[in-house]
Amino acid sequence: MARASTTSDVFNAVADVHRREILDALITGEKPVGTIVNDLSMSQPQVSKHLRVLSEVGLVSCRAEGRHRLYRLEPAHLQPMHAWLAKYERALNDRLDRMDDYLQDLQRRERMR
Amino acid sequence: MNGTRHGSATIEFPSEREVLVTRQFDAPAELVFDVLTKPEHVRVWFGAKELEVCEIDLRVNGKYHFVGFVMDGDTATCSFRGTYLEIERPVRLVGTWVFDGKPDAEAMETVELHEEDGVTTMTDRLTFRDQASRDSMTWAAADGVHADQGGQVAWDRLENYLATLA
Repeated sequence: MARASTTSDVFNAVADVHRREILDALITGEKPVGTIVNDLSMSQPQVSKHLRVLSEVGLVSCRAEGRHRLYRLEPAHLQPMHAWLAKYERALNDRLDRMDDYLQDLQRRERMR
Repeated sequence: MNGTRHGSATIEFPSEREVLVTRQFDAPAELVFDVLTKPEHVRVWFGAKELEVCEIDLRVNGKYHFVGFVMDGDTATCSFRGTYLEIERPVRLVGTWVFDGKPDAEAMETVELHEEDGVTTMTDRLTFRDQASRDSMTWAAADGVHADQGGQVAWDRLENYLATLA
């Protein structure tokens, strides 16, 4: 399965450590850009650039309140990552479940001898 | 008894370079160890179908090589290989681990078994050279091992995000 190479992909959006830090900063709630800048000691243009990428994939949304633009996390858009992780867990579990069944079969056969 | 522990493996990412899998089996540690290290056993359970190649030279500096369809729905065979570095039946097995599709992402694998009341807890720790190697490998595993190289997955604090999904 090929991934989009641009910012249209949630996976690529969160592949950047600074963007992950911004998402983390928003877990506790809606914040204006200035607060994120202060919290993370990144420059305002840098934060704005990352917020734009995160907005494009829907991971953050923005609303105006007075002179401020407030950004908030949209966790539902992390669903593709959740689905991906679930797939990884399933693949791993499938193998270990096969091993489990095999161990039980071996022991059953041993007992029947 | 079959199936009661199905789906119970836990996956953790203790550091940026590691993947730690824990799973319990209702079997003595000796048997679990043998099922992990004897080709006649590994051949049967490792892949979605019986492995095409299952070579195991269980000695320090001995090599192993598995080839087969690893997951259901795979369209190509996958090849894993490595070298055993420490063998301590039935409690510990250390070796290198590499997926031929991603030879740069070689990892160190440490399997430890701990038996208590007839239940063996297996921990399987893969330690990669760096985070990029680990992420490229876990990425590949989830995508049926045919993923492009482009993706790099952020595992950091992923759990936090997932917790907010509920």
